[in-house]
Amino acid sequence: MFDIKKAMGAAAAGMSAQSFRLRLVGENIANVDTSGFQRKTVNFINVLDRARGTTTVKTGQVQLDETDPRVTLDPGNPLADARGMVTLSNVNPLIEIADAREAQRSYQTNLSIFDQARRMHSATLDLIRR
Amino acid sequence: MKVDSLMASQVYGQTQNVLKSGAQDADVDATGFADALEAALSEMRRSLQTGEKAAVEAMSGQGDVQSLAEALTATEMALETAVTVRDRVVEAYQEILRMPI
Repeated sequence: MFDIKKAMGAAAAGMSAQSFRLRLVGENIANVDTSGFQRKTVNFINVLDRARGTTTVKTGQVQLDETDPRVTLDPGNPLADARGMVTLSNVNPLIEIADAREAQRSYQTNLSIFDQARRMHSATLDLIRR
Repeated sequence: MKVDSLMASQVYGQTQNVLKSGAQDADVDATGFADALEAALSEMRRSLQTGEKAAVEAMSGQGDVQSLAEALTATEMALETAVTVRDRVVEAYQEILRMPI
C-alpha cells in the first residue's frame, strides 16, 4: 500500500466520522421538543489502523449532555407538573446548527484531501504515459 | 598502428566486461520486473474485488458512500496504473520490432 492510498483511507475515515457527527446533530434537532430528551454528543479518537499502518479517526462513545433541560410554563400540556411547568429537552438549536456546519466543513476538507490524492496519482501516471 | 591495435584490444576487453555486467543487470531486472508486475496484478485483483463488494453493498443500502468512493477510486487507480504500464511495455516491444535487422 503506497502513501497516496493511505491518505485516501485516512480521508475516508474522517468523512465517516463527520457523517456520524452529522447524524447525531440531526437526531438532536429532531428531538428538540421531546420532553426529557438529553442532547447526544460524541468525541473523536484516533486509532491505529494496523492493516494499513495509518493513524485514522474514529468516533468514540456517544455521551449524553448533562445540562439542565429547558422548563416552560404550559399548564394545558398533559405533561405539565403540579405547578404547570413542562420539562423539554436540553437541545439548543443554535449550537446544533453550528455543529452541523462544522461537520460539513470538516467533511469538505477531507473530501478535498481525497480528491487531491487521486489527482496526484493521476498526474504521476500522465508523466509515464507522455 | 601498433598503438591502435593495442587500444582496440583493450576497448574490446572493456566491451566484454560491460556486456557481461549488462547481461547480469538485465537478468536481475527481468526477475525484478516480473515480480513487480505480479505483485501489482495481485494488488489490482484484490482492489477490484473490494470495489465490487463495496459497490454491491452500497447499492443494496448497506455500507456507506465513503467506503464505496474509497474502494472504487482505489480500483480505478490500480486499473489506470496497469493500463499505463501495459501501454509502455507494448510500446517498447513494438519499438524493438521496428528495429532494422
